[in-house]
Amino acid sequence: MPVSSVVVQCLEGKADSVASQIAEFEGIEIHGVLPHDQIVAVIEADDITNEVDLVSALHDVKNVVSVRLAYHNFEDI
Amino acid sequence: MELSRRDFLKASAAAAACAAAGAPLLYSKEAEAAEAGITWGKAPCRFCGTGCGVLVGVKEGKIVATKGDPQAPVNKGLNCIKGYFLSKILYGKDRLTKPLIRKGDKMVEASWDEAMTLIASKFKGAIDTYGPDSVAIYGSGQWTVFEGYAALKLFKGGIGTNNIEPNARLCMASAVTGFMTTFASDEPMGCYDDLDLGDTFFLWGANMAECHPILFSRMIDNRLKNPNVKIIDFGTRRTRTSQMADQYIKFKPQTDLAIMNGLAHVIIRDNLHDETFLKNHVVFKRGKENIGYGLEDKFKFIDEAKLITFEDYKDFLKPYTPEYVATLSGVPAAKIVELAHLYADKSRKVNSLWTMGFNQHTRGTWANNLAYNLHLLTGKICRPGENPLSLTGQPSACGTAREVGTFTHRLPADMVVTNPEHREKAAKIWGVDPKKIPAKPTYNATEMFRALDRGDIKVVWIQVTNPFQSMPNLNRYRKGARKGDGRFVVVSDIYPTRSTELADVILPSAGWVEKEGVFGNAERRTQQWFKQVEPPGEARNDLWQTMELARRLGHGNLFPYTYPEKEIWEEYRKFGEGQGKDLAPYEAYTKARGLRWPVVNGNETRYRYVEGHDPYVKAGEGIKFYKNKADHYKAVIWARPYEPAAESPDKQYPFWLCTGRVLEHWHTGTMTGRVPELKRAYPNAVCEMHADDAKKLGIKHLQKVKISSRRGSIILTADLNGRGKAEKGNIFVAFFDETKLINELCIDAYCPISGEPDYKKCAVKVEKA
Repeated sequence: MPVSSVVVQCLEGKADSVASQIAEFEGIEIHGVLPHDQIVAVIEADDITNEVDLVSALHDVKNVVSVRLAYHNFEDI
Repeated sequence: MELSRRDFLKASAAAAACAAAGAPLLYSKEAEAAEAGITWGKAPCRFCGTGCGVLVGVKEGKIVATKGDPQAPVNKGLNCIKGYFLSKILYGKDRLTKPLIRKGDKMVEASWDEAMTLIASKFKGAIDTYGPDSVAIYGSGQWTVFEGYAALKLFKGGIGTNNIEPNARLCMASAVTGFMTTFASDEPMGCYDDLDLGDTFFLWGANMAECHPILFSRMIDNRLKNPNVKIIDFGTRRTRTSQMADQYIKFKPQTDLAIMNGLAHVIIRDNLHDETFLKNHVVFKRGKENIGYGLEDKFKFIDEAKLITFEDYKDFLKPYTPEYVATLSGVPAAKIVELAHLYADKSRKVNSLWTMGFNQHTRGTWANNLAYNLHLLTGKICRPGENPLSLTGQPSACGTAREVGTFTHRLPADMVVTNPEHREKAAKIWGVDPKKIPAKPTYNATEMFRALDRGDIKVVWIQVTNPFQSMPNLNRYRKGARKGDGRFVVVSDIYPTRSTELADVILPSAGWVEKEGVFGNAERRTQQWFKQVEPPGEARNDLWQTMELARRLGHGNLFPYTYPEKEIWEEYRKFGEGQGKDLAPYEAYTKARGLRWPVVNGNETRYRYVEGHDPYVKAGEGIKFYKNKADHYKAVIWARPYEPAAESPDKQYPFWLCTGRVLEHWHTGTMTGRVPELKRAYPNAVCEMHADDAKKLGIKHLQKVKISSRRGSIILTADLNGRGKAEKGNIFVAFFDETKLINELCIDAYCPISGEPDYKKCAVKVEKA
């Protein structure tokens, strides 16, 4: 099961509301809402297909500017 | 409770993201535990021209993880979605692992010796019967510096033909001729730091949010911290980039030429130009006009430049009033005036950025010239935070195709085969007779495939690219490849493609970190990596393949290396030494996260042509365009007119077709298409069209449509509500999809100066399928 982490950049003042929305996504854990409207999240899913669907869904959340990937481990696939 | 390996991995992931986002480090102990057994090595990403740093994690001979490289100045620890899949791309199920030789309709496994014996015999046969110009090599901006250099040396210095071209001819050639005609030296004066330091960004037909996401993020980060930042997006299609811009300015295809002349007109009319800068650093020129479109085989063009005065230039600009430009482009006259004032605002640090919108243009060289004009007129150039920046689409379009010079007319370090001194210098470094290097360029990429179709080229070797999906007017060139009559096509790749299916021999290649390499990115940054895993099966790197052909053709003496990568590097860097293109010794790159040339005395150069940054500009000289000796070290403002596209919509074919890229796929999809999850996010190419146009034709969202041009037709799904929104009268189709060859519809018209085809404009009709 792959594990990855992303930094989600939100529009000014929107990080908290975006974080509460994406915390509802199964497979996404919020690890912090940082200054400058950024969210750190860890993504895990049964396989990479589901994992990437989650990343695409993050891209589509309102007030999300970008989703950048910090780390991806796929050693057990 | 005992923590599982999974918990450790999650901690490690969170720690990496926090570090990249600049947050206090979390979970350092758990992260350390997760790292056990993984060896990390650095490499630049192998996709676009941004050149992001990646850390590759290897365990028991296999890549198991990747990280954005926190030490990489380009991307500071974060990658885009394509970086995410880098390592997976090496492990697709259908990797090529054995040489294959065509036997009738079948490709049959063969040994390397059999394959190379056959290839060498075909090269020898063609050279003996038809001469050296009957064989060719076609590579790409994905060649490592070593691979490109070896191909250049073998073909120009060994075989004695200028039949070498990269696919960069289809993507960066207009940028090269733009730089060469304006500054007499290829590649930018500025660097990515301008994205952090500037406050005004004009994007010209560049969808950075999807095609250069990391650079786009840097610009957006700047704006989030600095409310003064303005982003102006000029386009013919509303994109993710447009959504984030302060202004989206739609214009009619091809009228970018008129708009830029209109901006220059207003800058001078309203006395906003920098007279001192113009006096000290600029000359004015006018070249040939009505220059044609390269549609005929063996089309030739040589520009004739005349020096003109500033007054002549003003006269030239007179017709480009905001009102006239508005009628051509659809951009309101008042907007043109407003934006000209924004370009010239002395309190603003202005940048222009562009990619294929300018380059893939039948007046691509002119479009590049006209962008430089705006910066030269206002003196906003060479200083931190205010520069024009031509972005690139491939990881080493700059480092290999342009710097090594793997074009028919070029030699390394901006030298050209038409110059006897340049041939002399190259021959001396290579240890060959200068007469060996032909003085006359042969074919640009389009002409190369026309020559194969005609039969003038008999044998072509294609490495690291997929021309039988990516050429325009594709039907002609696909048929040409299989006409027989002595034609022989060799393709080296890591996966089966629409080009390998037309090959007589397919060679399995090593990809990315399966070999040692050097790439050069769009900000002059040269980046090295070591081999980190073995290629699968019998796959071998392209450098070895080229040197093996050389040996079998009796040119083995050109490659007398024991450590080819390092020795090629040290030989290659002799070309640029003292020429403003200096590169560091190989060891320096093994440690650094890239260095921006010229590298003099171990120091990289962030800004070229400016005192205090560029070691070639002496104290007191301020700005000096020192490569342009012929114009007394000044840059050139070019009077370049608006001329129409090669083919415009008419009654029969009423729409413009524009092709391009999307976030999840890269170019022809050879690598990204292998990854099922990428396919799923954006599985097939669609036809983006405006809802009003669709309504008129009775087409509904997600219905099948037939798109036809004078060259071919294709069935696609209409998308009226996609990520990108075509303007009225335009449709957009991405070219990644190997099952939908949109390039069969594209016209093979090209810029007469750069030889680069226009994939952004041809006329099509759309019907319900």
